[in-house]
Amino acid sequence: MIRAWRRLSRDERLAYLILLPALGAVFVVVTIPFVLVIIQSLSTEDGTFVGSVNYSRALGNPLLYEAIRATGVYTLIVLPIEILLGLGFALLVHRTVRRPGLRASIYVLAILPLVVPPVAIGVVARLIYAPGYGVLNVILDRIGIAHQEINWLGDPTLAMLAVASVDVWQWTPFVYLVLFSGLQTVPRESVEAAQIDGASGWAQFRYIDLHYLRPLFVLIIFFRLADVLRVFDHVFILTGGGPGTATQLLSLYMYRVEFKFFDTGQAAALAVVVLVSFSLLYTLIARVLPLERA
Amino acid sequence: MRRPLTAVVLRPALATLALGSAGVLYGFPLYWLFVTSLKSKAELFATTVHLVPHNPTFAAYSSVLFERGFWVLLKNSVIVCFSTVVVTLVVGMLITYPITRLPVPARLRVGILNWALSLRFLPPIAVVIPYFAIVRTVQIYDQPIALIGIYSLFNLPFAIWMLKGFLTEIPLELEDAALVDGATRWVAFWRVLLPLAAPGVMAAGIIIFTFAWSEFLFALILTATPNAQTFPVGVQGLVTQFEIIWNDMAASGVIAMALPLILMVIGRKYIVAGLTFGVIREK
Repeated sequence: MIRAWRRLSRDERLAYLILLPALGAVFVVVTIPFVLVIIQSLSTEDGTFVGSVNYSRALGNPLLYEAIRATGVYTLIVLPIEILLGLGFALLVHRTVRRPGLRASIYVLAILPLVVPPVAIGVVARLIYAPGYGVLNVILDRIGIAHQEINWLGDPTLAMLAVASVDVWQWTPFVYLVLFSGLQTVPRESVEAAQIDGASGWAQFRYIDLHYLRPLFVLIIFFRLADVLRVFDHVFILTGGGPGTATQLLSLYMYRVEFKFFDTGQAAALAVVVLVSFSLLYTLIARVLPLERA
Repeated sequence: MRRPLTAVVLRPALATLALGSAGVLYGFPLYWLFVTSLKSKAELFATTVHLVPHNPTFAAYSSVLFERGFWVLLKNSVIVCFSTVVVTLVVGMLITYPITRLPVPARLRVGILNWALSLRFLPPIAVVIPYFAIVRTVQIYDQPIALIGIYSLFNLPFAIWMLKGFLTEIPLELEDAALVDGATRWVAFWRVLLPLAAPGVMAAGIIIFTFAWSEFLFALILTATPNAQTFPVGVQGLVTQFEIIWNDMAASGVIAMALPLILMVIGRKYIVAGLTFGVIREK
């Protein structure tokens, strides 16, 4: 050990002298909660060991499967819409907007929603969908589409769509920005060559653009999935998981088990299950991520 | 070669239509938020909802900030976010500097970066359950430090990947030149590397600040009183009340948005790079 240390150059030693404490501290900070949550999941409130009881309670709870279903539905609504809309806008702006000034303004406007706190966007959504003051019903009434008040947040399907619309509103610009900057890397010569050969707009997309965008789709799915699976803020503000359990996504469900029912054993078991399944999901996606690791 | 009709007429028309509707879909909700915050209590009880306020007033803002005392929460938010930025950048730099500037095995570097990336997938709700128990045991419940710790951890992946991107762009030769001239490692870092990396470090700081500013779940769970509550927790308190005071709620929403939007103007070149761990670079 000591001999190996002596064989290192001064710079190498310095590297380890800085890295060891920094990484060690972070490692400890990360590991303590992991160990603790496993202990919590195997014991009762007062710390007596109960084995797998909490796990069978957690996995036997039908509310868990409703939460998983709601999360799945949410993801399946939100991800495809965001990707298709973002792609559509990226292609549209890339092909029709030529003025650099306009492109720059679209860029700035597109990053605007990304930095707004989800809680504030939940407030905005509340002002739009809520019964009584919600402006959507007012507008529908004024332009003569629906004169009866629609209870957007009281119907399970409509509430899910309302909650999903907030996500689409906030994150489509992210997809747009990533794909738009991807389109800027498509070499102009190949596009021009294709145009001279009479390729249609679709063919250009299918055979040229798509080739350059493909790795970015993986990237978008990775980052969007990481966020969609942890969604909490705007749903908590807009519906609180309701009506009933219609929009009670996984995070909201776990929040309820721990902080409303004060069932730490079950919540910890859920947390362990979630951590394990998320790590599996992560290893699946991370393999194909186009990140520069060098 | 004549261009087809679709390219001349249809496409620009479609583009204008699409961009116009996007403009309305993004502009109107924000307009509605702002307009609601300018309404008086009397106007909210009018039988018809006014799309344009009749007597605009800033009463809701003073009601939120002073009568409800939310300026304290705003102060807490600033303290928590600023400390988070400092801690995250320092720890991030301690990890990034050796792996980008000093001779470490490639496997170690890749391992650290992968590990940081995997933290990005960590679901906060699963972490907060044990963290809550820890916070209560070491008696930092309802104190800013509990938030600073967990925010720094969750922002570390961004910091490491962004700093790595900025540091690798600076040629090693610049520091080597200083070292040959007899400077110590520390001086070379402080006088040569850091000034060159400063714009990137600033950008990373701004992004971490806005993330911490937006955070809600941990703040909701780990705080209970204005001693440590951050602004989003206050906003939430206005929303779930039995009778919602729309103008106060809207004003709190506007206040919550204001600072990130201002910071975004400064950090706009880097925000997408930050969100994608440096894959997307704006030229």
